[in-house]
Amino acid sequence: MAYEEPIRDYDRIVENCTCAFCGCNCDDLTYLIKDEHVVGVRHACRLGASKIMEDMDQRLLVPMIRNEEGNLVETDWDTALDKAAELIAGAVRPVFYGWSETSIETMKQGIKLGESVGAVLDNQATICHGPSLQAVQNSGYPVNTLGEVKNRADMVVYTGSNAMNSHPRHMGRYSAFPRGYFRKRGRFDRTIVTMDPRYTDTAKMSDIWVGFEPNGDYEFYTALRAAIKGKELKQEVISGIPKETVVELAEAMKNTQYGCLFFGLGLTHSLAKQRNIDAGIRLIQDLNKYTKWNLVPMRGHFNVNGFNIFMSFEMGYPYGVDFSRGYPRYMNGETNTIDLLTREEVDVFMVIAADPGAHFPGGANRHLANIPVIQVDIHWGPSTELADIVLPGSFVGVEVAGTSYRMDGVPIYMKKAIDKPETCRDDEWIIKELYDRVQKIKGERIASK
Amino acid sequence: MTYIDKPAVPNVVKFDEPLATKRDKLEVILNTGSDIYQGACKKRGSTLKDEYRRVSGTAYMDPRDMARLDVKNWDTAIVKTDWGEVVVFTAHSRDAPHEGQIFICKGPWANTVVSPDTYCCCDPTYKGVDATIEKTDEEPLLMADLMAKVYMKYDKDAEKTINCLTDKKVNVGITKPEE
Amino acid sequence: MEYIIKNGTVYDPTNNVAGEKKDIMFKDGKIVDNVSSDAKVIDANDKIVMAAGIDPHSHIAGPKLVVGRLYRPEDSRRGIKSKTDVTRAETGFSIPNCPATGYRYSRMGYGTVIEAAMPPLEAKHTHEEIIATPNIDIGALSLFGNNWFVLEYAKDNNIDDLATFISKWLKLTRGYGVKIVNPGGSEAWGWGMNVHGIDDPVPYFDVSSRDIIHSLAEANEKLGLPHSIHLHPNDLGHPGNYETTVSSMDIVKDVSKNSPVRDQTVHMTHIQYHSYAGTNWRDFESGAEDVAKFINNNDYVTCDVGQITLDETTTMTADAPMEFDLHQLNGLKWANKDIELETAAGIVPFIYSGRNSVHSVQWAIGLEMFLMVENPWQIMLTTDSPNAGPFIRYPRVISWLMSNKRRVEMIENGEVHKAVGRKSIIATLDREYDFNEIATISRAAPARAYGFADKGHLGVGARADIAVYDINPNNIDPSNDYEAIEHAFGNAALTVKDGQILVKDGEVVSTKESQTIWTNVQGLEEQENVLMKKIMPVFDKYYTVKFENYPVFDNYVPNPIQVNVQAGK
Repeated sequence: MAYEEPIRDYDRIVENCTCAFCGCNCDDLTYLIKDEHVVGVRHACRLGASKIMEDMDQRLLVPMIRNEEGNLVETDWDTALDKAAELIAGAVRPVFYGWSETSIETMKQGIKLGESVGAVLDNQATICHGPSLQAVQNSGYPVNTLGEVKNRADMVVYTGSNAMNSHPRHMGRYSAFPRGYFRKRGRFDRTIVTMDPRYTDTAKMSDIWVGFEPNGDYEFYTALRAAIKGKELKQEVISGIPKETVVELAEAMKNTQYGCLFFGLGLTHSLAKQRNIDAGIRLIQDLNKYTKWNLVPMRGHFNVNGFNIFMSFEMGYPYGVDFSRGYPRYMNGETNTIDLLTREEVDVFMVIAADPGAHFPGGANRHLANIPVIQVDIHWGPSTELADIVLPGSFVGVEVAGTSYRMDGVPIYMKKAIDKPETCRDDEWIIKELYDRVQKIKGERIASK
Repeated sequence: MTYIDKPAVPNVVKFDEPLATKRDKLEVILNTGSDIYQGACKKRGSTLKDEYRRVSGTAYMDPRDMARLDVKNWDTAIVKTDWGEVVVFTAHSRDAPHEGQIFICKGPWANTVVSPDTYCCCDPTYKGVDATIEKTDEEPLLMADLMAKVYMKYDKDAEKTINCLTDKKVNVGITKPEE
Repeated sequence: MEYIIKNGTVYDPTNNVAGEKKDIMFKDGKIVDNVSSDAKVIDANDKIVMAAGIDPHSHIAGPKLVVGRLYRPEDSRRGIKSKTDVTRAETGFSIPNCPATGYRYSRMGYGTVIEAAMPPLEAKHTHEEIIATPNIDIGALSLFGNNWFVLEYAKDNNIDDLATFISKWLKLTRGYGVKIVNPGGSEAWGWGMNVHGIDDPVPYFDVSSRDIIHSLAEANEKLGLPHSIHLHPNDLGHPGNYETTVSSMDIVKDVSKNSPVRDQTVHMTHIQYHSYAGTNWRDFESGAEDVAKFINNNDYVTCDVGQITLDETTTMTADAPMEFDLHQLNGLKWANKDIELETAAGIVPFIYSGRNSVHSVQWAIGLEMFLMVENPWQIMLTTDSPNAGPFIRYPRVISWLMSNKRRVEMIENGEVHKAVGRKSIIATLDREYDFNEIATISRAAPARAYGFADKGHLGVGARADIAVYDINPNNIDPSNDYEAIEHAFGNAALTVKDGQILVKDGEVVSTKESQTIWTNVQGLEEQENVLMKKIMPVFDKYYTVKFENYPVFDNYVPNPIQVNVQAGK
C-alpha cells in the first residue's frame, strides 16, 4: 500500500471512542473530525477505520419505498413508517432479524414491538455463533475477560478463527502482543497456537500451526482430549495430524500456567457444528484439572453478544425467540431465521442493522424474494436489493451513543462523536415509531370491530 | 481516496509444476469466510462497486490447482455445488498450500453456492461444501446484477424458477408489498 | 391518592408493634398518621399487615445471571407465563427473566432486594438488568475482596487509600456497599488455585484473607457506610469450614462501628454454607452449633442463612474455585467467568435432593442456624437465591420455621435423608417462629443491617411499602396449617410499593419502574483525585477498557435512590 500523508487538516478530535465493527469493541479510538465528518481515525485497524471514516459511501440518506416498476423511490418518513407499520401489523409470522450492529437501547424498542405483534426476534448469532451457544447449553461456558488473557496467559490458541483478518487488533490489544501484569515481555512470554485447516494470516503469526483436515475438527479435538487424559491414541494420524504431534501439543497445553482458547466460525460452520464446540469446551474443562484454561468465542459484530445477553435477561433465551404464542419460545432449528426462511414460513421480514443479502445462503434468501422486506440500515447493500421499504438509520458509536457488549461480555457505552445526517433517524427512534404506529393500527382495528 | 487496494496476491502460478496435470474441472472443497479486504469493503458500504466484486467474488486457490485448471490471477471460473452455481474470479491464495480446497469470501457470490442446511441447529453449512470449479469466459456479475439474476425479486418477466431445496415454484415477480 | 388499610393485624418489629389491630395510612408514597375522609379504604380485617419484605442477599441481576439464563434454556422453560395486559411474559424457575423477578418478588409482598455481587468492570450490565426488572428497589453490592488495588492496600495496611478507593469505586459502579467473596481465593483462581483458611497467602500478592477482611472492615467503618462489609468467607461448602467461619467473624472484633443506622460491623452471608463440620463428605456433619454460639455471643455480627430448599437450581457465585470443585463433584455443565483485576465467577446447575444425605444435612444446618441464633435481628431469611434454592421458596422456608410439626414430619416421612438425625440436632430443636419474628427476619432486620431508615417498617414517614397477607393470626395454628402459611406468604393479598398497589390477591395488577439504591460518599473528593492520579497508570496498563468508558453513567441509573454519606461522620 502506498504511503499516505498523515491527516493534519481537522477541526477537533474525540478520544476514547469505541469501534463499531467486530467483537473486540476497541474503546481507545480517536476520531479526527472536520466539518462534522470523521476524516481520520487513530488506533483503529483497517476494518474499523474503513467503516468509521468512509461512512458516507453508499450511505442511505432518505426513506425509500419500492414502486410498481421495482425501483426504490424516495419518500417521506411518515409514508415509509406507516407503510412498514401496516405490513408488520398485518403479518402472521413476522421475523425481525439483525440487531447486532445497533445498540441495546434499540433492542429495547425492538423487543417491545416484537412482543406486541408476536414476532420472532433473531440476530446474527443464528448464522455465526449459534452452534457455540448450543454447545454452551450442552457443556458449559468457561470464559474470561480479555484482560485476563493480556495479564496472565502464556499460551493462546486460535482455532477456526482468522483473527488477523476478522479481528485485526485482537492479537495486538488483548492476546498475543500486549505486555501484561504477569507477562511483562508481551509476545515473548507467550506461545501462540493456531489450529485451522488453512495456513491463515493468524497461523503465519503463530509459533505453532496445526493444520488439521477440513471437517476434521471434531476428531482432532477428541483425540486431543484423550491425549490430555493420558489415553493412548490408536490411530497413527488423526485428521491429518500425526499422533506424536497431538500428544506433544496436549503436554504443552497441560504445562502452561494460564491458557486461553479463542474459537471462531471455522468450528461452527463446518459439518459437526455444535459438536465441535462441545469438544472444545470439554477440552477446556479437562485442562482445568491440570492448570488454568478458559475460552472466548470470537464474536463477529460489535453487539452480537449484546443481543444474546439482552434477550437472555429480558426473556431467558439468547436468540431465535418466538413470541407468536404470547410467551417466549426458543427451539433451535425451528425458531431461527434460516430455518424459518427455508421452510418459507415468514410473511414479513424486517432486517435491522444486518445484511442477509450478503450473508444468508441463497436457499434462504430466495424466500425474501416472495415476501415484503423492511430494511433499517446505514448503507446500500445486497439486502437493499431485496428490500421493499428502506429506513435509513444512524451509525452507533459515531453518530449516536449506545450500549454494546464486547465478545467477552464487558459492557461499553459507545459515545457519540458527530451529528447524524439530517434526513436520517436513530435506530431507536425508528423502531419506537414503528411500535407506536403498529399500536395505533391495532387500536383502530379493535375499534372497528 | 480509495483506502484499500485490491488483494495483494502475487501472480505465481507455475505451469511447470510436476504434479500439475491439466484438467477442465476440479472437484474441490469449498470454504467460505471473511478476510480483511472483504470486511473493510463491505462495512464501508462499497458493495455496488467493482471493488466488492473483486474482494468478495473471488475464489482463492492453491497455485497447483490453478495450474491444473489453467487459470491465472483474475481469470474467471464457474463454481458449482448442489445448491447453485456462480461465476467468480480466481486468484492465488495467500494461505496456500491447500490443494483441493478453494476459499470464497462471504458475500452474495458465495451465498449462491453454499448449503442452507442447518441440520436443525440454526446455522447453515458455510464451510466444507463439496464443489466443482471450471474455467469460463463469463464475467462475474456486479453485486446488484447478481442479486437481480439470482433472486429475480423485481423481475416480472422472469421465468418461474425452482427452489432447489423444496422443489417448489418460487413466486417471483409478485412480491411487491400489498397495497 | 390517599389510602387507609383498615383493621389489619400489624406486625412491625421496628416500632414494637406485635400483632395489634391497627390502621395503616399512606399518602403520596409515604406512611402518614392521618388521611382525609376521601381516602380509599382497604379492608384488612383478619389479615396480617407488614412492611414490604427486604431481601438482604439475592442474585437477580448481572453477568452471572445472564450466563445462567443463556446456558440453561431448560430452566427458562420452567415457570413460563404468557404476557397479560399488565405484565410481560415470564420464564424461568431458578433464574427467571428480569420481568419475572420483579413480579415474583411483588407477589410475595417484597419491595426491596439487594443484588449480592456486582463486578465493577461489568457494573453497567448489572444496572441494565436492574432497569429491566420492574416493581422492586434494588441495591447492588460491588465486589472488592479480590480487586488488585484492594489486595495491595490490604498488604500495606493502607486504610486511608483503601477507604478512598472504596468511596470512588462505589461512585463509579453505583454500588451500595462492600461485598467480599472468598477473599484472595478468586484471585488465586486466576492460576487455577484457591486459598484455604484465613491465613493462606494469595499467590504473588502475598496477602492473606485475614488482612483483606480486616482492612476492608476498617475502611468501611472509616467511611461510615450504611452497610457493613458483606462477607462470603473462605472455604464455602467445605466440610470442616465452620472454623474458618468463626475465625473470619473474629477478625473484625476490634473494628469499631462508625454508623448509627446499623448494629453490625460484619454481615456474614449464606452462613449455612459455612457451618460444616467433619473432614470429608463422608463424615460431614453440622457445625452450626459453634457458629451460632459465636453469633449469640457477639452482637457485631449479623447473618443471612441461604436455606437449602431441596430444588433443582443453578448455583452461581464469585467464589469461582468452589464452583469448579462443584462441577468436578456433580459433573454438570460448568460456566466460569474471570474478570480482569477484579474477581471471578462460576456457575453450575445443581439438583438438591432430599434423598441425598449431604443435601439433607445441608437443609438441616440452615434450619439449625435459624433456630439456634437467639436474636432474630441477627439472622435473616435468604436462600442465597438461586444458590440454595430460588427466592420463590421463601414462603416455604417460613412455613418450616413456624412449624416444628412439619419439620419432624419431613424427617419421619423420609422427605429428607435419615442422616439428618445422626449428623445434626435439628430434630431436637422445637422452637417455632411467631409472626413477629418472621417480620423481623424478612423485613426489619435486613432494613436495619442495610441502614434503610425509611424501609422495613410502618412508622410515619416511611415509604409506603406494605404487604398484606390473608392470614388470620387469631385462628390459625401455623404449626398445623403450614400449607396455608406457605400459600399466604407466596400470594400476598396486597402489595404496595411507594404507595402504588402492585398486587391484589396474588396477582400483579400494576407495575412500576424499579429504583436503584446506591451510596454516594461525600467529602473525599480531593483525596479521590489524588488517588486516581496514582491509579491511572496501572489502570491504563492492565485493564482492557479506557477509564473514560469504565464508569456507570447516569443513563444506567434512571431512578436513583442516592444515599449520601459524609465520610467518617
